[in-house]
Amino acid sequence: MSNNIVTAVAWMRRRAENIVAGLLGMMFVAFIIQIVFRYFFNFPIGWTSELSVVTWLYMVLLGSAFWLKETEEVRFDLISGSLGPLGKRAIGLIVAAAAIVLFGMALPATVKYVAFMKVESSSYLKVRLDVLYSVYVVFAVAIIVRYIWAIVCLLRGEAPEEADITKATSGL
Amino acid sequence: MNFTSPFSLALIAIVGLSLVGLPVAYAMIGGSILWLFLSGLDMGTAAEQLLNGMMASQLLLAIPLFILAAEFMNTGSIMDRLLTFCNAIVGRFRGGLAQVNVVQSIIFASMSGSALADAAASGKIMQSMMTKDNKYPPAFAAALTCVSSVIGPIIPPSIPLVLYALISDTSVGYLFLGGVIPGLLLGAVQSGLIAAVAKRRNFPVELRVPLRDLPRITWEAMPALLMPVILLGCMWTGITTPTEAAAVAAAYALLISVLLYRSVGMKDVYNSLVSSARVTVSIGMLIAGAMVFNFVITAENIPRTLSALLKAHEMSPLVFLLAVNILLLILGCFLEGTTIILVILPVLIPTAQSLGIDLVHFGVVCVVNIMIGLVTPPYGLLLFMMNKIADVPLRDMVREVMPFLYVMIGALAIMTLVPDTVLLLPRLLGYKG
Repeated sequence: MSNNIVTAVAWMRRRAENIVAGLLGMMFVAFIIQIVFRYFFNFPIGWTSELSVVTWLYMVLLGSAFWLKETEEVRFDLISGSLGPLGKRAIGLIVAAAAIVLFGMALPATVKYVAFMKVESSSYLKVRLDVLYSVYVVFAVAIIVRYIWAIVCLLRGEAPEEADITKATSGL
Repeated sequence: MNFTSPFSLALIAIVGLSLVGLPVAYAMIGGSILWLFLSGLDMGTAAEQLLNGMMASQLLLAIPLFILAAEFMNTGSIMDRLLTFCNAIVGRFRGGLAQVNVVQSIIFASMSGSALADAAASGKIMQSMMTKDNKYPPAFAAALTCVSSVIGPIIPPSIPLVLYALISDTSVGYLFLGGVIPGLLLGAVQSGLIAAVAKRRNFPVELRVPLRDLPRITWEAMPALLMPVILLGCMWTGITTPTEAAAVAAAYALLISVLLYRSVGMKDVYNSLVSSARVTVSIGMLIAGAMVFNFVITAENIPRTLSALLKAHEMSPLVFLLAVNILLLILGCFLEGTTIILVILPVLIPTAQSLGIDLVHFGVVCVVNIMIGLVTPPYGLLLFMMNKIADVPLRDMVREVMPFLYVMIGALAIMTLVPDTVLLLPRLLGYKG
C-alpha cells in the first residue's frame, strides 16, 4: 500500500515538474509576444502581461505544493542538522504538527475568501477570480496533506531527508 | 515589549518554527495566520494578501527571467570561451588564475543576478583549473570563488536589487546603475588583495597568450560579452521595461547558445527551464510568505514606531547607516539574505527616508552588505555551496575567506561614507535623488 503511494507521489512530482517548467516557458513566450507586438507592430496587448502574472502565481504555488521537496525550499537546518536521529524525528513532528494546525485553522476562512471572489473577473482574460484563486486552496490543502504524510513517515521511524545545499537556493 | 501580544507570539512562532526547519515561507504564512487568529481578524486575509500581492507584482517576473537568462548562458561552451578570454587578459600576471576568477565573476555578474548561480556555474571548473598541479591551495581557490561570486548580484542584473525595488518602491533601473561602481569596487579590492599576497604565497603565472591571438579570443567570447550591453541598453533607452529586458536577455542567451555556439538541444532547453523553475519556486514562495507577514508588520505600525523612536533619539543619518550596516552584518551571519531583504529592510526604510537618506544609496549599501553575509560563517550559503562543490573543509575555507572579508567590509565602508560611489552613475543618467 505505501509502495503504491510512493510510486504515485513520484509520478505526480514528475508531472508537476513538467507543468511548472511549462508555465515558465509560457511566461517567457508571453513576454516575447508582448515585446514583439508593441515594438514591431506598435500594437500594445494586455493579455500577455496578465497571463505572465498568472503563470508566476501558479508556478510558485503549484511548484511548492507538488514539486519541490521540503529540503529544496529556503529553510534553516542548522539546529535539526546537529541533532541525533531521535531529536530530528521529534523536531520533524513538531514542525509538521504546527504546519497542519496553522494552515488547517485558516482553511475555512480561506475557502470563504476565494469563493467570495466570484464577484470579480480578471481584466483581460475575463477569468472569474474564484476560479483563478482556487489554486491557493489547492496549495493549502496540499501542504496539510504533505505534513500529515510526513508525520506518518516519522512515526514509522523513517528519518527526514538531508538537504543538499548545492540544489536549494533562494536566488541570491 | 509585551511578550503575550499577538505580534510577539506570531514573531516567536515564525522564528521558532524557522529555526527548527519549517521552510521560512510557510513559517511566515503560519505565523501571520496565528496573528490574525489572536487579533480576532479574518484568517482568510492571509490568502488575500498573498494572492493580490503576487498578482500585482509584474516587476517580480524579472526574477525568473533573469534566472532563465543566466541558465541559458550557462549551457554549452559559453563559460569556456569566457574563461579563455579572461585568461588572455589577466592570466599573465602573478596569481593569474586567481585574477581570472575575479574577472570572470565580474563578467558573469553582468549576465546573472545571483551569487549562488555564479558559484554553481563556475565553481567546479575554476576549482579544478586552480588546483591542477598544486598551483593554488584548494581552500584558497574555493574561498576565492565564494568571495568573487558576491559580485554577481551587485553588478546588474541583480535579483536582490529587484526585491529591494519591490519593497522600497524605488526604480529598479537606477538601482541597477547604482550597483555598477560598487560591484567593480568589490572586484578591485579582491584583485588588489590577490596581487598583494601573490608574491609572498608564490602564486604561479599563466602562459602568456600572444597579443595576436587576442582579437580571435575576444571575437569568440563576443556574443557573451554583448549580453550586458543588450540587457542594459533595452532598459535605459526605454525600449522595454526592466522585466521585458530580462525576457529579451533570456531570448538572446537562448538564441546565441542554440544558433551560434550550436551547443544546446531541446532537452537542454527543457532542463534549463526546470532548474530555473526550481529556484523561481523557492524564492517565489519566500516572497509570497513575506507579502503575508509584511501585512502584519504594517498593520502593527512597526516601521513608523521604529522611525519615531530613532527620531526621538536624534540619530544622525550617518550613525543610522553605520548602525544598519553593523546590524545587517551580524544578521547576515545567521540569517538567509532574501529573508533579510524582504522582512528586515521594510522595517528600516521609513526611518532611512525620514532621516533624508537616499533610498537608492541605502538599497545598494544594504544589498552589498547582505551579499557579504553569504560568505560570513556560521551561516554563509556560498561557503556551504563551495564546501560541497570543492570538497574543501569549511574551517580551512573560512580562514582563507577572512582577509577578503576585511577588504570587502572596507569597500562597504567607502560605499556607505561616500554616497557618490553609488549615486554617480544614476545621477549622470537622470536620477533626481
